[in-house]
Amino acid sequence: MIEFENVSFNYMRTDEASVKNVSLKINNGETVLLCGESGCGKTTLIRMINGLIPHFYEGQMKGRVSVDGTDTTKAELYETAKVVGSVFQNPRSQFFCVDSTSELAFGPENMGLPEDKIRGRIDSTVNSMKIRDLMDRNIFEMSGGEKQKIACASVDTLNPQVCVLDEPSSNLSLEAIEDLKQTLLDWKEEGRTIVVAEHRLYWLKDICDRVVCLKNGETIFDISMKEFKTYTEEKLRAYGLRSVNENLSMIPIKTEHMSTETITFEKLFYNYRNCDALQIDRLEIPRNEIIAVVGPNGAGKSTLSKCICGLMRGFRGNAVIDGKKLKSRNLLKNSYMVMQDVNHQLFCETVMDEVILGMDEENEDRAFEVLEILGLKEYAGRHPMSLSGGQKQRVAVASALLSDKDIILFDEPTSGLDFYNMEKVAQLISSLRGQKTVFIVTHDPDLVRRCATVVLRLENGHVKNTNSDGEMKGYGTEKEKCYSAVV
Amino acid sequence: MDGVMTQKKTNEKLGGKDLINIGIYAAIYCVIMTAVSMLGFIPIMMPMLSVLCPLIGGITMMLFYTKVKKFGMITIITIIIGAYLWITGMGYWPFVFGIVCGLAADFVAKSGNYLSKKKTVLSHAIMNVTIFGCFLPLYLDINGYFSSRTSFGSDYVEALTRIFRPWTAPVILACCFVFGVLGALLGMHFLKKHFEKAGIV
Amino acid sequence: MEKALYNPGKLDRGILMDPRTKLLLLITVTTFALGGAGGRRCENLVPVLCMAPFLLLFTAKRFKTAIIGIILFWGSSTLLTFANAHNMGGFLYYIILGSCGVLGRFLPCIMMGRYLMESTTVSEFTKAMKKLHVSDNIIIPLSVMFRFFPTVIDEADSISCAMKMRGISIGGKHASKMVEYRMVPLMTCCVNIGEELSAAALTRGLGGEVKRTNICKIGFHVQDFIAISLCLVPWILLIVDVVK
Repeated sequence: MIEFENVSFNYMRTDEASVKNVSLKINNGETVLLCGESGCGKTTLIRMINGLIPHFYEGQMKGRVSVDGTDTTKAELYETAKVVGSVFQNPRSQFFCVDSTSELAFGPENMGLPEDKIRGRIDSTVNSMKIRDLMDRNIFEMSGGEKQKIACASVDTLNPQVCVLDEPSSNLSLEAIEDLKQTLLDWKEEGRTIVVAEHRLYWLKDICDRVVCLKNGETIFDISMKEFKTYTEEKLRAYGLRSVNENLSMIPIKTEHMSTETITFEKLFYNYRNCDALQIDRLEIPRNEIIAVVGPNGAGKSTLSKCICGLMRGFRGNAVIDGKKLKSRNLLKNSYMVMQDVNHQLFCETVMDEVILGMDEENEDRAFEVLEILGLKEYAGRHPMSLSGGQKQRVAVASALLSDKDIILFDEPTSGLDFYNMEKVAQLISSLRGQKTVFIVTHDPDLVRRCATVVLRLENGHVKNTNSDGEMKGYGTEKEKCYSAVV
Repeated sequence: MDGVMTQKKTNEKLGGKDLINIGIYAAIYCVIMTAVSMLGFIPIMMPMLSVLCPLIGGITMMLFYTKVKKFGMITIITIIIGAYLWITGMGYWPFVFGIVCGLAADFVAKSGNYLSKKKTVLSHAIMNVTIFGCFLPLYLDINGYFSSRTSFGSDYVEALTRIFRPWTAPVILACCFVFGVLGALLGMHFLKKHFEKAGIV
Repeated sequence: MEKALYNPGKLDRGILMDPRTKLLLLITVTTFALGGAGGRRCENLVPVLCMAPFLLLFTAKRFKTAIIGIILFWGSSTLLTFANAHNMGGFLYYIILGSCGVLGRFLPCIMMGRYLMESTTVSEFTKAMKKLHVSDNIIIPLSVMFRFFPTVIDEADSISCAMKMRGISIGGKHASKMVEYRMVPLMTCCVNIGEELSAAALTRGLGGEVKRTNICKIGFHVQDFIAISLCLVPWILLIVDVVK
């Protein structure tokens, strides 16, 4: 049983408390969904259950948190680890070993269990999760979904009574979410207590029994899933939540294309050492539209985006814009990628320096104009790294606009965002329509339906636009034809 | 359970978090070091290692020093860097130097309670003497080594000893130390300019 | 290519040797080939020791690395002989001497180090360290380090991509700030990922007081004994020398 008694916490170097006076009781075997907009305190609650607060993240804490009668604030982390297993948001930063078998053994090894017992546990986990084919492999070469499976499996080998998951689906494709769902259902069947903090709610509606919603660090409702499912869309929006019955179809907005101009990519071929990653002979894209690139992991989306940006070494294809033939080198000059981790592309000391860095002639007035449009004017003197995630993304977009790029490419711009922030990103991207050709590589159907005007579905390195995602997954009801890109 | 529960147990042994931090910064440092030595791939550029490594590595190390609160962390990271140099083929001297310099650097930093800026700079400079270990085999017993290769002729030996003259050894040693100081100052400058604002200190 | 550097896959590792044997080989090569210990008595053994890393790289199926190494090694010694034979003088001679001399000495060691890193998994390495009674205080940071190498390289790659898109290059107008532009995002990203990594490791019980186990199986085989006896020869010669 997990019990919070009048718990408050604020992180070091912040003034506002992230959790205020929360009391909550979770019974054994219960499956609880924690939801709410970004910064509502759900991650903080999760970190209290697994003891990372106050042992890892420092700050001021009041109240008592107990799991199965032991106080997690007093027990050492490795003691709590025997009872509570945790899965985190980012699949690429939560594994400790390089190969998957050692990773599964890592937890039990820390507990000092005897060797044969560890092997036994690994065996039973591998069997129950059906991951035999993932064993003895390099985790760095796995896809995000496979990595997340390994993360779940390595929790499973510790055999904890309580499992907590902190936004486990944010970096996963729709297919991988289905796998994760199955794992959780299995755990539930075994009678484990599960607490999930999530933004995407649709996949949890058959798993969780209870929904706790937070806002500004306080609980605003605590109801059963049955009741929660009856909430209308409007009511959910008021709490900043995404839909429970999410429409998973990736259908573009129905509009006329703004111009008849096109960009043609020729010879989009690329292959890695032993497999073809991309095989598109010719791809015609309407210019200045918003193109969503969707498809399962490993379909060649990131290869395609790297080729489009001219970042792929050894890529021999070209693009034709305005009748001019652009090779890799010139593509690099004409395109800009807003990366998933925006921190990679922020170099300077102030936002202003940052946006004029790539300009041919440094023109502060124009920079101010663009910053104003993007709502960043008052931050011009701030250090870009000190901004919030969304603002950083805007800074990156500003520098793309100011360096006169034709093509802007977004790599997973909405992973891990709540409804408000996702909508903001959608607005930002929509506002670029008509001036720039925008590509979005994404798994997020909400985003696609809000701003994309063309959907490009990739499978095994080929463009496949015959059916939309919605029909395939069966969640959506609409059956509309996509605006197919001319292949 | 009221009040602050931060890590005030300074005199305890190293915890998991400290050990992981050591590993992470050692990894960053070693990648930088490898990249720098790639830059000077022309072997004659090798002495540049004693200038660039302390200087650029200083940025990483100053960030690491902000995480150091217990005795042993600096010793371990220096030993690891020495061991890395060893297994990437620089000979065992960096490893030996790593143990000695690491301990010395740790004691210096500890005497300032891991807070004093001057002591931090000095400690970083001492730490970087480890890099001198890479060059030591070139000076040690140089005649003895090359005398076994007399097939190359005496001209060769003479010319080589002319390049690796004994007086260059203290110069390289001094380089390590001085640029260790400069690297620490550069790192501190970066801390203030970027990392504190980015909130990762 | 970069990704495989420190993370050997199970399939293409060639003959398996105990990591301890590999360490002994490395120590021997660095001591006798690089350090020049043993003097004239070991003279004939040095070439054998120098070729050992290349041979081992072949068995680990790192053909490209091995061939490049051999060409460099052979090339530098040929160049030296050539320069000597023609009695070259002046500045060029010194450059050739310096470059080739250093390259010839360091190359076998670098190759041996590469072989060690490319053919050993992290858990094998930690197990070997454990058997050598190294403290956990060193083993844990070392294994984190090996885990973190590919991440740092990945991040550095992404950052150089971002720099290319912004037109920041050595030839460009921002050349003076190259170090800053590279280091600041690299440090920020790595520290953030590191933070997440430590949180994940701690919730899985790292740093407890119990003795860690390791399920990896390592041990000495025939090939180990052959390699060890090869290594022992120069050491015995050295000891005999010292005793005399």
